[in-house]
Amino acid sequence: MNLLYALFVDPWVQMGQAPDLLVQTLWEGLVSGVLYALIALGFVLIFKASGVFNFAQGIMVVFAALTLVGFYEMGVPAFLALALAVGVMFLLAVTVERVVLRPLVNQPDIILFMATFGITYVLIGLGELIFGGNPKRMITEQLYLPKGAVEFKILGGFVSLQKIDIAAAIIAAIMIAVLAFFFQKTRIGRALRAVADSHKAALSVGISLNQIWAIVWFTAGIVALVTGIMWGARSEVSFALQVIALKALPVLILGGFTSVPGAIVGGLIIGIGEKLGEFYWGPLVGGGIESWLAYFIALAFLLFRPQGLFGEKIIERI
Amino acid sequence: MRAPGSDKGVAAGDVLLAVDNVSLNFGGVKAITDVSFDIRKGEIRAIIGPNGAGKTSMLNVINGFYHPQQGRITYRGETRQKMRPYVAASQGISRTFQNVALFKGMSTLDNIMAGRTLKMRGSFFWQLFRHGPAMREEIEHRKVVEEIIDFLEIQAIRKTPVGKLPYGLQKRVELGRALAMEPDLLLLDEPMAGMNLEEKEDMSRFIIDVNNQYGTTIALIEHDIGVVMDLSDRIVVLEYGRKIADGTPDQVKSDQTVIDAYLGVPH
Repeated sequence: MNLLYALFVDPWVQMGQAPDLLVQTLWEGLVSGVLYALIALGFVLIFKASGVFNFAQGIMVVFAALTLVGFYEMGVPAFLALALAVGVMFLLAVTVERVVLRPLVNQPDIILFMATFGITYVLIGLGELIFGGNPKRMITEQLYLPKGAVEFKILGGFVSLQKIDIAAAIIAAIMIAVLAFFFQKTRIGRALRAVADSHKAALSVGISLNQIWAIVWFTAGIVALVTGIMWGARSEVSFALQVIALKALPVLILGGFTSVPGAIVGGLIIGIGEKLGEFYWGPLVGGGIESWLAYFIALAFLLFRPQGLFGEKIIERI
Repeated sequence: MRAPGSDKGVAAGDVLLAVDNVSLNFGGVKAITDVSFDIRKGEIRAIIGPNGAGKTSMLNVINGFYHPQQGRITYRGETRQKMRPYVAASQGISRTFQNVALFKGMSTLDNIMAGRTLKMRGSFFWQLFRHGPAMREEIEHRKVVEEIIDFLEIQAIRKTPVGKLPYGLQKRVELGRALAMEPDLLLLDEPMAGMNLEEKEDMSRFIIDVNNQYGTTIALIEHDIGVVMDLSDRIVVLEYGRKIADGTPDQVKSDQTVIDAYLGVPH
């Protein structure tokens, strides 16, 4: 009886008693949700256009951020370093298309998936070789990202919001809106979806696979760069950051591998669910549930909607 | 769609595409051996033959999916050895596939719109904001696509994801996508495979209408001999990768090697 009370009643009572704490928790959930969504977005982009789960997405985040900070440390002005980092992501996209994707065209997806493992290790090696393996500080001030916190007095208490989090949420929202629109409404977007569906048919209507793949990987690179800046600002830029890619998995399962809006909704559900779970239900088992709750939510989802919230229904005719 | 006869340089009846001594093999397997034929502007040209004769391989060579080891292809007077599929597409060669290759998750409308990819040149910037010239362009292309939809009588399935459609309709949508490219040369790989009689009649009518109204040159592969004899102006017959006959339906029908290939020879 006590357990049932603690599980189903007490958390809601707590939320009602301290609404300011609830708001604070929700906000933190929202912010990490947005950041998860950003990582998931990188995966979705590449999965949509080539049907490949890009294992290298996590390291691309690190590599992009590392390039930015690395150039800055070499004495390049911050915004020039940013432009250079964008340039490097472009080069990376073109190289991956030329060296990895083109020779492997028409191979089973699993082969391409394995190839992205290869890309991961090449990027780790390259990053360490050029910029060294030490953790670096993200150059937030130099990029004019806001610092500090704003406090709101609401519901009889204080809620404090980090300005960098607000900025991250806004930037991510804009980026996701632009990408969703790009996929649905533009010629290149239509071509991207076409390539995702059938390589053969896309070729026959005059879509160049090589060009599309380069565009997709470049876009994923830009998303990685933004993700790297935001995550880097919250902790530091190091190779350990690549494990956040694992956080994208439950988000993808929830939102669907093929949906840009799905990535954001999935990210928010995971982010908020994680924080609420940790804060209100965590103490029941002695805390620390944040690290696995996301997978638990995703697993529960998988039972009922294997294609995710917004994923394309897989239609097979026999 | 484009008015008939407004083509670049090639008049009706002239050779639009010529295949010269083309050979194609995959390792030790000889798919095509030393085949030559031509396709004339404005005609319906059929390629027939028993299973495994190399018909689909031939189409794949023409639109650049396969690169022949030997031989030349001359298209609109321009000779080439190697061709990339999207280059072929940009030069006005479009096609359909034996086993329907559509964008299954996309609607009929989007599928046919995808056929307009090469015709759309609006700047990416404007497209992003769905404004100005890009909006005008989108409307313009949409108009062409609606015309094709009317032509093929598929208004009712405009918004349906094509993966959900029955096979016969999928084939029709695929034809629509190929037509959206306003091709000079339309390659149809078994356009009537797996269809019932009524669907076959519809499809035949569309093929004839495309040929008549828009003057589109058509090369098609088909197994239904009755349909082929009715539809085509000239027929190439392949067997085991070699050409065994070439001519009008009547010539081909009475050719002894063709009869042998189809009915077998008494030993």
